[in-house]
Amino acid sequence: MIAAVKGWHAVLSALLFFIPPAATAATADEDANSAARELARKTVALAGKGETLLVIWRNVSSLGPAEWNQARAAFEAALKESGGRLSDAAGTPPAPFEARLTLSENRTQYLLVEELRKGDDRQVWIASWKRTGPLSLTAPAITLEKNLVWEQDEPMLDVAFPAGAMLVLSPSRLTLYTRQAAQWTAKHSVPLAPARPWPRDLRGRLRLNSATVQAYLPGMLCGGTVDAALDPGLSLTCRPSEEAWVLESGSRALLLGAFAPARNYFDGRVTSQSGQRKTIAPFYSAAAVEEQGRTLWLLAMVDGRTQMFDATLDPLGALSAAWGSDLAGAGARCGGGSQVLATRPGDGTVLDAVQAFAIVDRAPAALTAPAEFPGPVVALWSSGGAAAMAIVRNLATGKYESYTLTISCS
Amino acid sequence: MALLAVAAFPATRPHYGGTLRIEIRESVEVPDPPQTGRNLAQLPPAFAPTLWEAPSHAVYTADDNAPGGRPFLDAIEIQMARRLADQSIDLDLGKADLVELDANESRRAAPARKVWSSAPVRLLILVFGRRIEDARIREALALAVDRSAIHNVLLQRQGEVSGGLLPQWLSGYAFLFPVTQNAARARSLLATLPAPARTLSLAVPDPANRRIADRIALNARDAGLILSVAPLSSIADLRLIEARIASSDPARALSALAAALALPDPPRSDSPEALYAAERNLLDGFRVIPLFHLPDVYGVNPRVKGGLGITPLGEWRFENLWVDRP
Repeated sequence: MIAAVKGWHAVLSALLFFIPPAATAATADEDANSAARELARKTVALAGKGETLLVIWRNVSSLGPAEWNQARAAFEAALKESGGRLSDAAGTPPAPFEARLTLSENRTQYLLVEELRKGDDRQVWIASWKRTGPLSLTAPAITLEKNLVWEQDEPMLDVAFPAGAMLVLSPSRLTLYTRQAAQWTAKHSVPLAPARPWPRDLRGRLRLNSATVQAYLPGMLCGGTVDAALDPGLSLTCRPSEEAWVLESGSRALLLGAFAPARNYFDGRVTSQSGQRKTIAPFYSAAAVEEQGRTLWLLAMVDGRTQMFDATLDPLGALSAAWGSDLAGAGARCGGGSQVLATRPGDGTVLDAVQAFAIVDRAPAALTAPAEFPGPVVALWSSGGAAAMAIVRNLATGKYESYTLTISCS
Repeated sequence: MALLAVAAFPATRPHYGGTLRIEIRESVEVPDPPQTGRNLAQLPPAFAPTLWEAPSHAVYTADDNAPGGRPFLDAIEIQMARRLADQSIDLDLGKADLVELDANESRRAAPARKVWSSAPVRLLILVFGRRIEDARIREALALAVDRSAIHNVLLQRQGEVSGGLLPQWLSGYAFLFPVTQNAARARSLLATLPAPARTLSLAVPDPANRRIADRIALNARDAGLILSVAPLSSIADLRLIEARIASSDPARALSALAAALALPDPPRSDSPEALYAAERNLLDGFRVIPLFHLPDVYGVNPRVKGGLGITPLGEWRFENLWVDRP
């Protein structure tokens, strides 16, 4: 029957009056232990000291045996402490009370649900405590060297490292962090106020040159100075701009590309290092590699293909590679002197990886094993030299993580 | 400045452009695009209606100034009043990108489709009219229904058997409400009642639930109740209907369900224990008999990218989807 215990209500009210206040706060429990203790005290208060109880447990939650056993031990200890007696299923004579305890959960809480029965009478109590999200960062083997440098809840677009400091570009602000006692601490933050809403799949790029910083964003360019030794250390002025973004690749190659202001791609208007202007098909990212002394540009096109171009951005054909949309160039002194880092194809719901390739006979040749990430790579930018910056959305935690990627020649 | 609701965009970045072709069973017979409710009303502000041909066809177009940025899709085209069987065929033939699936279809393996499923948010429930005043009749029917058999066979184990108004994933205590069939107890409750009192009419507004209603009638007969199943009738003794979980807050969801089922408004409950007591009070007297919580299930063309386009509550969220180029 669904109805609560017949005739127990008055008794229960009187008995619960004598239970310490903490024990009656059904929503105030901190963990399984205190929830279990609370229910044990209520149980003895109702059943009576010295009464024998048969306790049956089950777990319909996602909690593991450790938590379950912990709750069980806490309940049984508190039950005995309060004067109750435990019976086993084969108890003789049968215990007059049966307590069914279920470890359950909903979206926000874990629940310990007790159904105390005596014959046809039944009383239900529910104690609960807040869920805590799982936080387990995987640490897969690293071939391409990767280092987690920062994580945050808000999306990150790019991260750069001026002397003794770190700049984090987010959709809402550029923040300067300084290192204090081995921890990054926010020193100053400049809000970004776009004239129109940001596009979905927002992209942004930081470019450092000594003490000057530029932040490229769709339809907006910000410029300023950074010096962590000063206070506030960061100044930044933003203005609407269609100015081309500077796309560096390793230490030696760069390309200017116009970014479509309300989209997530470069619109195809490009300027080569020698100053030649061209209009090619729209693309997401670009990386330069050297093959037999000649510079090749590899562009991840919006149509999903990877296209090869020469140094003057004349097309050379499609590259046969199953790569994602983000490429970055690197210039480690090994593997042919320049490399391309490429993400995997995917649709944002799967784990991602970055792998380094060389181009040999206009075909990709893997140089390293993939560096695996706990979620999709949402940004990949060259940091100059042998390094790149990858921003990852961790699928387990929902946080954004930035990693430095370095091709090691050892 | 409003922060972006940035999704986990991938190694393969989203494409702009393309049309998402949707088919639904519902016939929306209103002169203007709906502003409230489910599905279509959830498309704005990211998409604005640009063509409305009730009750069968509508087109919504991406808004360049949508909060969070312009959606990747250019447009969404909706065919309404489409039979489930036709929807499934259209999906298999590549004529549709998103269709509704019934229990049998959602279990059918097909290489040319993905399946999206919400949490169990559709409550299938029996609701008594005021004429049935004898609580023994109502309780007898609650005890007579073999939920497990219906769940295993007719629903193909989709969703979950439930004796509560709120599903287990939302309340955490739904298992406390009994769901097991007890025909003997049902018969004993009805033993002293005259035959006319044991004859009831059951209205089934949605033809898709007709087979379930027939099975309930069969169970009822075993217990001594005669149920005559018919389409919607305002004078029916009871109805088999669907109600939706409208909030991920269990207290609000319970309150909304109570309103939808014309039950008393439950007191505001701040703890699971208080909420359980409130829900138990609503179910006392068997004015309503919860049967199952079922998910919304959609078949999706593999060319649709960008992760799940529905929330756990089954709400449409298409602004972060895109379609592969042909």
